[in-house]
Amino acid sequence: MMNNEIPLLLFLWAAACLFAIGFSMLILKRNAIFVLMGIELMLNAANLNLIAFSRQDTTNQGLLLGIFVLVVGVCEMAVALALVIQAYRQFQHIDLGRFKSRN
Amino acid sequence: MTPLMLSFLALVCITCGSALVMLWTKNILHAALAMFMTMLGLAGLYVLAYADVMAVSHLMIYVGGVLILILFGIMLTNQNSRGDKDQNNLVTEESSRVVPMLIGLAIFAGLVFILARGNFGGIEIADPNSKLSFVGVSLLTEYAMPFELVGIYLLIALIGSTYIAKHDE
Repeated sequence: MMNNEIPLLLFLWAAACLFAIGFSMLILKRNAIFVLMGIELMLNAANLNLIAFSRQDTTNQGLLLGIFVLVVGVCEMAVALALVIQAYRQFQHIDLGRFKSRN
Repeated sequence: MTPLMLSFLALVCITCGSALVMLWTKNILHAALAMFMTMLGLAGLYVLAYADVMAVSHLMIYVGGVLILILFGIMLTNQNSRGDKDQNNLVTEESSRVVPMLIGLAIFAGLVFILARGNFGGIEIADPNSKLSFVGVSLLTEYAMPFELVGIYLLIALIGSTYIAKHDE
């Protein structure tokens, strides 16, 4: 029975792929909302690692930490989108390459 | 090739393929749709890792909450950075593609290299049953304090974000 299980390494490879894609979105895109999506991808890759390791843990601590990570991710997203909207009101665009501080 | 493995490969293809679409496309609405597919695939991966509670809450929070927030963000802002306020054509600007994708590829290769050197032992699945009652009991007994704290944190974040997004003149 146990031989049929998916190896842990495959989960870790999938998470590594997601993390790499999220990081390259973070440095490739110039739109602020795209950058936030990249951050979400990286957060979810970390969460997938936690869940995959928690599969072999009798106390399931990774699963519980993953639930808290989910809540923190939602909070981050809400605050960041509010900041994006406020920045759009200030500058009339959300292009990260064109933001300049007014001095 | 067991059915479990086949479904795992299909879910990984959905997840990473949609993430690549998110990386490749310039249209921000297409990226939001691809993010929806990514979150569906991730929830399937959580089910295959025997974390059904996490899969359901991930679907509810990301597809029901975060994606709607992102769509509101897209609709409330103008993606056209040329200052043309008449039309919002949803196609965004980006830097040169080659260098960031090479950096991402290098990160992926480095992570795979490090993971290949690690020794994670055999697979001893602790408990392939549903984790629902376990999560409920431990959130209210052992992890009650962090649970309350994260509730307060959520309240602070929501109040703060409504205050930040307030239209003040």
